[in-house]
Amino acid sequence: MADVKGVGMTRGRMFLLILFKSLKVRKNRVAITFFSIMIGASIITALASVYFDISAKMSRELRAYGANFFIGQKAASESRTSDAGVVKDAMALIPSDKLIGASPYIYGVVRLDLGNAVLAGVDFAGMKKLSPYWQVEGKWISVDFDEDSCMIGKTLAKNMELKVGDSVNVIRNETGFQRSLVVKGIAETGQAEDEQIFVNLALAGRILGQQGRVNHAMLSIVTEGTDIDALAARVQAEFPGLDAKPIRKVSHSDGRILDKIKGLMAIIAVIILTVTTLCVMTTLIAIVSERTREIGLMKAIGADDRDIVRQFLAETLTIGLAGVAAGMLLGFLLAQLLGQAVFGSFISFRMVVLPVTLIPSIAASLLAAALPVRMAVRVVPAQVLKED
Amino acid sequence: MFFIMLRQSFVKGWRRKALATATIVLAASLITALMNISIDVGDKMSKEMKSYGANISLVPKSENISLEIGGVDYNPLEGQVLIEERELPKIKGIFWANNVVGYAPFLKVSAEMAGSAQRVPLLGTNFDKAVAVDGDEEFRIGVRVINPYWQVAGEWPAEDDADSILVGAVLAGERNLKAGDRVALRATGEKGAAQTFTVTGILSTGGAEESAFVASLATVQRLAALEGKVQSVSVSALTVPEDKLSRKARRSSDALDSLEYDRWYCTAYVSAITHQIEEAIPNISARPIWQVAASEGAVINKIQLLMIVVTIAAFIASGLGISSLMVTTIMERAKEIGLTKALGAADREVYLLFLSEAALVGVIGGLLGCAVGAGLSQVIGLSIFGSLISFNFVVIPVNVAISVLIALAGSLMPSRLITRLYPAEVLHGRR
Repeated sequence: MADVKGVGMTRGRMFLLILFKSLKVRKNRVAITFFSIMIGASIITALASVYFDISAKMSRELRAYGANFFIGQKAASESRTSDAGVVKDAMALIPSDKLIGASPYIYGVVRLDLGNAVLAGVDFAGMKKLSPYWQVEGKWISVDFDEDSCMIGKTLAKNMELKVGDSVNVIRNETGFQRSLVVKGIAETGQAEDEQIFVNLALAGRILGQQGRVNHAMLSIVTEGTDIDALAARVQAEFPGLDAKPIRKVSHSDGRILDKIKGLMAIIAVIILTVTTLCVMTTLIAIVSERTREIGLMKAIGADDRDIVRQFLAETLTIGLAGVAAGMLLGFLLAQLLGQAVFGSFISFRMVVLPVTLIPSIAASLLAAALPVRMAVRVVPAQVLKED
Repeated sequence: MFFIMLRQSFVKGWRRKALATATIVLAASLITALMNISIDVGDKMSKEMKSYGANISLVPKSENISLEIGGVDYNPLEGQVLIEERELPKIKGIFWANNVVGYAPFLKVSAEMAGSAQRVPLLGTNFDKAVAVDGDEEFRIGVRVINPYWQVAGEWPAEDDADSILVGAVLAGERNLKAGDRVALRATGEKGAAQTFTVTGILSTGGAEESAFVASLATVQRLAALEGKVQSVSVSALTVPEDKLSRKARRSSDALDSLEYDRWYCTAYVSAITHQIEEAIPNISARPIWQVAASEGAVINKIQLLMIVVTIAAFIASGLGISSLMVTTIMERAKEIGLTKALGAADREVYLLFLSEAALVGVIGGLLGCAVGAGLSQVIGLSIFGSLISFNFVVIPVNVAISVLIALAGSLMPSRLITRLYPAEVLHGRR
């Protein structure tokens, strides 16, 4: 009993001793193994981190397309406008970290010097974020309370013979309003905005005699999957008088494009993962194969095959774990570099990246060590030890 | 002697060489696939981006300022200028004709429903119609081609079906209409009997079309006695993102010198395409719809950048992977090198041996890798975009050069280490 236990302990000690010596003496090989596992793990970590974050990042980029959500009056109701306060409350339901930009709109027809035009009252600060695609000559109106300036659509500007810096008289007969406004910027969109004149919401309310009223609001919201429909349902439930809906043209296409990008990233990540793992394996196979002599020696002094395999696996596992740990750190840094270079923002850390990196890296390392060792243990010690 | 050694090294150490070649094949195929996709991803995504709808709108040149708010026109224009429908196929005759994916003409008139005084908009358009143009036998136009986000609950009417009509979702809600109902419509201002249509489906677009009836173009033209006329045309074209040159051209095309003008004209900028359409069809004004045109550029630039950065990362990783493998395969040959040196080989010759071995492995691995990578990129193209990735031949020399360089770089460091060893030490077995 004691004998067996003694042998067991000796074996255990022997095992640790060989492991320790092997790591200490073969610094070069250990370094290369560690290095290649670390590189493999870091590239896997970096890509996995980017992959899991790509939806969030790209859906933010897709907000370049502008508004994807509409809050307005119920189609059936008589009045075409709603109370600005209610619409504002409805807009406040959208989580602020998801909201890229938003603006209420009020429309009416006014007379300019050379003819009639549609006047739109907007919140310029929100508008600029809502519609990054506006091609503006001159400047955006930057302050909310600017009541002496306007922006004007390109076609309208051409027809009214207006340039940036000119003044234009805005007249509304019904309210008797008349004021001269300076054209701050000329906007080109290729759509209805080209024929409209834009002023501040409060000023528009006074011009049109509709203070505190808005026609509708447009919002640009970061969404993934179908949560925009859920959002619409929530706003609808809280404000039954309003009509809240995704703007199909944008939200539908966003979903399609996101799916494509995600699919592309997924396939690329899987391919890189496979290839990197195989690369690490070939390096490890090369390192382990050259130790056939050592295996012969171990067999000659009485180690059985299982011991040897266990010995090599333990060695690889030790180096592998250290390599993966270092690789994860390095990979996370690499992901940040990627995120900064492409999206100008940090990639968030996700727990799921840990197993995604750890499992293939360690499995590949162990497999790469086991294959050549298993082949090596079959050799006859004398043959190997005599000469290669 | 040198060649004998080189051959011996490949014949005797074939397993070692096979391993090194395999690693390079893997790395090279990865880089090939990624490079191929990086080059083609812009075109591919640009096609996908067409789901956002048309990016160019054509309107008559002398159009007055419209006073339309939320689909209600406060200034219905009498005798307005319209576009001739027969001019439209000329869009497929411009320099960038192949980039024109499709177009859809629109004619919007005001109509009266029988038994109701209130006017409703009636929109005429092509749904999905084959048009014969030179060089593209299967060219199709219509809203189903250019606006894939239009959704119909029910059936789309056939192109030549003069009795079917779609009703916008909002209008359907207001008038309590559903598929299968019959409505009688008459263009405002036209005398004669109202025509009866069958509603085949409810249309959702998220735009002004939802408050209108939508029928085939020919039907609306006939109802409004405007045969052969359209009011506006939406064009969907594949474009490249805007850059400095196109912005300069947009400010004023006179500011370009002739070389710049040629380059601008022969690049698929949205501004160049609108310019060419205006040249081809007189009396129209072609305007980029910036919501689609500008945003597409921004997003595609992002995706391209992402692909390039990922390719670089994969490139560095595989470079390091190959290097570490080279280090092992050379270090284990210390004994052999000791022997050659003891027999009188100069350091230079040892270098030459290792480097030519590395170069050979690099060339073989790089070429095989290109082949595997080309296959890999097609798999990606087919599974994601449903089409083949065009193979760019510049990838082959670049890839082989890169593989050789990595193999050489990876061999250089261990070769130096190994030539510095003393033969006696190595042969004795101490190192």
